[in-house]
Amino acid sequence: MIELYHVWKQYQKPLWALSDVNLSVTRGEFCFITGPSGSGKSTLLKAIYREVIPTEGQIIISGINIQRIPDHKICAIRRQMGIVFQDFRLLFHKRVFDNVSIALRVLGAPPRDMKRKTFIALRMVNLQQRLWDYPSQLSYGEQQRVAIARAIVNNPRILLADEPTGNLDPDLAHEIFGLFRVINKQGTTVIICTHDKELIRRFGGRVLYLHEGKLHEKDVG
Amino acid sequence: MNSLWQFKIRHVFSLTIICLSFVIVGVFLSMSNNLRFRARELSKNLRVVFYLHKDLTASERGLIDDEIRHSPLVDSVRAVGPEEASEKFIEDFPELKDILLNLNINPFPPSIEASLKDPGLPTEKIIQFIAEVKKNSGVEDVQFNREWAEKIRSLGRLTEAIGFFLGGILVLASFFIVSNVIKLNVLARKSEIEILRLVGATNTFIRIPFLLEGVILGVAGSCLSLFVVFFLIKLFPLYLGSSLGALQEIVGFRYLTQTQVLALIFGGGCVGFLGSLSSLARFLRM
Ligand SMILES: Nc1ncnc2c1ncn2[C@@H]1O[C@H](COP(=O)(O)OP(=O)(O)OP(=O)(O)O)[C@@H](O)[C@H]1O
Ligand SMILES: [Mg+2]
Repeated sequence: MIELYHVWKQYQKPLWALSDVNLSVTRGEFCFITGPSGSGKSTLLKAIYREVIPTEGQIIISGINIQRIPDHKICAIRRQMGIVFQDFRLLFHKRVFDNVSIALRVLGAPPRDMKRKTFIALRMVNLQQRLWDYPSQLSYGEQQRVAIARAIVNNPRILLADEPTGNLDPDLAHEIFGLFRVINKQGTTVIICTHDKELIRRFGGRVLYLHEGKLHEKDVG
Repeated sequence: MNSLWQFKIRHVFSLTIICLSFVIVGVFLSMSNNLRFRARELSKNLRVVFYLHKDLTASERGLIDDEIRHSPLVDSVRAVGPEEASEKFIEDFPELKDILLNLNINPFPPSIEASLKDPGLPTEKIIQFIAEVKKNSGVEDVQFNREWAEKIRSLGRLTEAIGFFLGGILVLASFFIVSNVIKLNVLARKSEIEILRLVGATNTFIRIPFLLEGVILGVAGSCLSLFVVFFLIKLFPLYLGSSLGALQEIVGFRYLTQTQVLALIFGGGCVGFLGSLSSLARFLRM
């Protein structure tokens, strides 16, 4: 489903944000990427949805080499993905409902469908009462959950989450991870970047460790 | 998309410029419409007027009359005496009546008006006929209305050309203004566009609202200009027309034809669309 071959990324000399990353994530897998701050976790995810273009190497998503396709074709790939951005990227002049439904609107979903699915997604993150508020009226943790709702609203085949529980209390974080597990059980490939070793230990699974741009695989039971 | 419908000062400004450009085009078009109409009226009945020497005797006049009457080109002939000519002049230009009466003498020569048979006659043939009659020493001057018609028609074409030139410059300005309005909108919605891209919106999906806005601005501006032109045409005879007297026939307006109206609206839409497109090409690289 997701394959990276010898991916290198350099923003500025002489630092390498990613150095020779090789990774293969199969369909339906659930895996964590962890590592210290600045180790390149966000860069790796951004390379997968092509917000950053690797200096070298190839990335293949569902059999398509995303380095080779022209810019205007990347939208087809992104439609299969749900992305939780580390900085949320909510639109502050739009209501919670519109922030979440934007992912359905670009698909041309009929309005009724859009309303129903948006409501369901917001209920999953426990924000169904706030759909008429603006993001500025929400706490950081609530904003983060809006970002999660937007990522899952279109039933993505790939879910990429960058620190999705960074601002949540342990109980809520656990709940959100549980939600990701449920989505994963329905067949979605899930990749989560997180610092939270405690949660990784509790949920287990495949864990990838990034350090200074180098990827190491390690199994945490 | 909501922000698309937020009305801003820049929208008012661009609408004004678009409207103004199309008003210029419209006014000149309606003036040229009028000139064309007059030219058509004139050439409907072909008429040649022969002005005769004042001190010609009745029999000399009769001879010339006969010559004209017997030409195969001529349908009917009417002799106009100096009194009749003077009355006709006063009727046409009432404001000049006093000047004429103060002259004490009648300045109009007698004339013979010849209506020609076929309005489709080639000009050369008529000119030949006129030259023939002109050989007669009693004929002082000849007026042939087709020459007038052609002069007026070419004046119409000139008016139209001036209109399109001035209007064209302003339409170009409108194009740049639409393009700038759209550029500001693109920049204002940068974060939204970025998110749309990240959730997989196609380029078309992102572009359509901006193109739509350009087209709406263009069409609204040109429709507005049609109203302005309409009122100008309506109000012109009330305020300025009377002071022009008989000149009104030449400097008047005539309503735009349906085709012209549609062309102006379509032109507005095109200016808006292209202005927006040029802006997207530069500021919304994909
Ligand atoms: N746009 C950029 N321009 C220049 N350097 C960048 C840019 N983005 C990231 N970097 C650098 O690349 C390296 C990896 O950054 P990245 O954001 O991937 O780290 P991270 O693992 O996500 O960190 P964190 O846990 O703090 O989010 C860092 O050294 C960072 O300074
Ligand atoms: Mg990061």
